[in-house]
Amino acid sequence: MHEMSIAMSIVDIACKEAQKDGATAITTIELDVGKLAGIMVDSLNFCYDSVCKGTLAENSQLVINEIAGKGHCIKCDTEFEIDNFMALCPNCESYEVEIQQGRELKLKAVTVNE
Amino acid sequence: MCDSCGCGIGDEAVTFTKHGDHHHHGEGHTHTHADGTTHTHNHDHSHSHDHSHDRTITIEQDILGENGLLAQRNRGYFEARNVYTINLVSSPGSGKTTLLEKTLTEVKDIPFAVIEGDQQTMNDADRVAATGAPVLQINTGNGCHLDADMIHTAYTKLKLKENSVLFIENVGNLVCPALFDLGENKRVVIISVTEGDDKPAKYPTMFDTADICIINKIDLLPYVEFDVQKCKDYALQVNHHLEFFELSATSGEGMAAWYTWLRENIKK
Repeated sequence: MHEMSIAMSIVDIACKEAQKDGATAITTIELDVGKLAGIMVDSLNFCYDSVCKGTLAENSQLVINEIAGKGHCIKCDTEFEIDNFMALCPNCESYEVEIQQGRELKLKAVTVNE
Repeated sequence: MCDSCGCGIGDEAVTFTKHGDHHHHGEGHTHTHADGTTHTHNHDHSHSHDHSHDRTITIEQDILGENGLLAQRNRGYFEARNVYTINLVSSPGSGKTTLLEKTLTEVKDIPFAVIEGDQQTMNDADRVAATGAPVLQINTGNGCHLDADMIHTAYTKLKLKENSVLFIENVGNLVCPALFDLGENKRVVIISVTEGDDKPAKYPTMFDTADICIINKIDLLPYVEFDVQKCKDYALQVNHHLEFFELSATSGEGMAAWYTWLRENIKK
């Protein structure tokens, strides 16, 4: 379950940034997670609370913005929404699709309290 | 947001009071859910006071950024020493170690080194060491993947030779290692014919991030229901850049093409 180490990275980055800012507590951590990022949001949520214990982020809330996948067909140039890696072009039915969006795994913002 | 009903009144505000300077007053409110059930519970409203100092820091940072940076550092080290690095990933039991044993034994014109990743035991390192190649075992304990920092520690201890090939045998796991760049030149995913031919469809992230796909144990094809073409089709639907090798590390069938690829790629 790599979500545990992902959760640890998230809390680690957030705590460092909060400390730099002189904050005493983190109330919210906001993420962008693409649908094709290889992250199970449920397991990330599950790991998050235990990772936060004993840190500035203890009892904080995790807000996850799920980013939809976007594909671009190399054959016919069509752009379309995708929700998995086996994306079929709706126009020419080719599987030669480049993923343009949906792999995001980003810490957007941290809300802190002094 | 209230995690019971999504009403927007913050449960988590309770925790702010421990550190912060604004007070709380438990205030009941009543919800009516879509199914008609109604409940009342206490929440603390987090509302702004003059003395409240909630503020948002914009970060916009890749969560795996630190691993990515370390991987780039590894990549630079490998490049400077001309060490061609291959990250072998697969489910447990698909034949990564056997493929390595065979390769290390039969290809004598390339200096190899191996980093082994497993949760426990020295078994794989012992098998590789028997071929004469320098090997270092990483035991991740409960960890499900190798990361760039582990690789950095490992190759520092291994003292890599210049103009060599480094194989990294990742922890047997077709999910988690996909997300962690180790600084490798190529990622090789192995699937054996004793697994389902739809594995690329079931575990697409790993196939999406791989460069090469080895279909192993083809000597067992007469005994199993594995459709090689179907497997390749699924894998190509996920990643149309994939290059394939069909081989049996045990019988030696198809290994020559793999060795040729190895020799040609090192030269590049």
